[in-house]
Amino acid sequence: MKDALEVQDLSYTYEDGTRALDAISLRARAGQITGILGGNGAGKSTLFLNLNGVLTPQSGKVLLDGREVRYRRQDLPQLRRQVGIVFQDPDDQLFCADVYQDISFGAVNLGLPPQEVRRRVEEAMAWTGISALREKPTHALSYGQKKRVAIAGVLVMEPEVMILDEPTAGLDPQGVSDILRLLYQLRERLGMTLLLATHDMDLVPLCCDQIYLLSSGRIVCGGTPEAVFSQPEILRENHLRLPRIAHLMEILHDQDGVEVCRSAATISAARREILHLLRQTETAEAAAVKQDRMV
Amino acid sequence: MGTDRCACRSRLRWVDPVPKLWLSLAGLLVCVFADSAAVGGFTLLVFSVLNLLLGGHTLRILTRFFAVPMGFLAIGCGMIAFRPLEQAQALWALGNSGWGISRQGLLLAWMVLCKALGALAAVYFFSMNTLITDLTWALRRLRVPGLLVELMELIYRFLFLLREEAARIQVAQKSRLGYQSIPQSLRSAGMLAGMVLLRALRRGDRVYTALESRGYTGQIATLPRTYTTGRWCYPAAAAIAVSQGLILLAERGSWI
Repeated sequence: MKDALEVQDLSYTYEDGTRALDAISLRARAGQITGILGGNGAGKSTLFLNLNGVLTPQSGKVLLDGREVRYRRQDLPQLRRQVGIVFQDPDDQLFCADVYQDISFGAVNLGLPPQEVRRRVEEAMAWTGISALREKPTHALSYGQKKRVAIAGVLVMEPEVMILDEPTAGLDPQGVSDILRLLYQLRERLGMTLLLATHDMDLVPLCCDQIYLLSSGRIVCGGTPEAVFSQPEILRENHLRLPRIAHLMEILHDQDGVEVCRSAATISAARREILHLLRQTETAEAAAVKQDRMV
Repeated sequence: MGTDRCACRSRLRWVDPVPKLWLSLAGLLVCVFADSAAVGGFTLLVFSVLNLLLGGHTLRILTRFFAVPMGFLAIGCGMIAFRPLEQAQALWALGNSGWGISRQGLLLAWMVLCKALGALAAVYFFSMNTLITDLTWALRRLRVPGLLVELMELIYRFLFLLREEAARIQVAQKSRLGYQSIPQSLRSAGMLAGMVLLRALRRGDRVYTALESRGYTGQIATLPRTYTTGRWCYPAAAAIAVSQGLILLAERGSWI
């Protein structure tokens, strides 16, 4: 599988001297969801703004689809088309008083003809399930609806890579499920590459194919969720934790001596482990009964 | 805001805002410059009927919108009617103070009241049937400078956010007894204003970043809405203006 996005030794220091990114390297595979984990101030937002060209890296390279990204003024529109960001607070992103107009903003900025913009706006609304909200004023939307409108406003630019900063923060459980479903659909049906920053550790094993752990502007570790969750001490050192299910598995394994896989982090993985254990116990008991009878 | 909610439900919502604006503006201007109670009354009647029949609003909602300005108007017109008497014949006088109510004063107050109500009805016809976003779109088409229109749109959008922010801060202050006495209330209100300003500045920064990430190049360009034609508004505006003129002539004629 090829890399849609590759970051090589990217560094960025703010004017006040804060080194927000320190020689970061990571890869986001095409058509996969890559999670960026990290506590507050780890550098996630700075990384995303560098990837979208709002900030310009001071050193290092960003490769999109194998080609090096240039940060010249004339290259920025293309970069922003290819890499879209959905910000954490939708109120920062939705500036139009009207849903339909707000969604159209990015596509109009691409200089597309009105028919094409309309087609894309309709499609983005259908994807995010907000077609019924098209006539609503932005201020009349709920927080979850605003999140969806914000996502539609980026989808309309048809980016190859979409970055979502804390997409489930502040949502109710139903809202979280809806966003998750949407992310699956974007990955499965559009083959979109998604980069996801989240603190919600229970979400990570459900949707991320790869994860990177960011701390103080450096990548601490990376790999599949299972691989990273098998090193809980690194997560804890960096103000994070295991997903609840993985934590339960860790306790069962380390404290109760039960032979379960410690990296099982989702309900389905835990269910498999428990069923496997039960069957093992049943088999052992059946064997014992059989042996008793023979005796 | 209140009129925005009405506009969302209005049957005229999707009618092109430019003709609606001209219809409302023509009625308003003639009403204001006619200086006539009869024209004011006619304008009030016509635009209220249009609002009820075409806009689909109820009489209850319409009267509710008139209630607040009516309060101000009652005070204002009362002060116009109650004035120094000079040589005018007093209908009622406040002792020997030289102040009281005369026939001329009453007529003037009545004229101002009718004119103000007529003007309000014309404005309400537009605002209760047109969203602010449609108004800004109409202004763009009327060649109002883009910067001004964009500022209007942004202010309108973020007004709600700042209001919510201020309400949240106020609740937090109240929950910690911030408004128990007058000095305390003044201090809390001052802190609230300062904090809202500070947060507005921060949000401004974040909004600019978000705009840039979506390809902002200095101009807020979005897709225009599609409206149904409102050409019928032009003959309607002309008919109303002519009727207002005839009523004015008839009124002046009867005085002569």
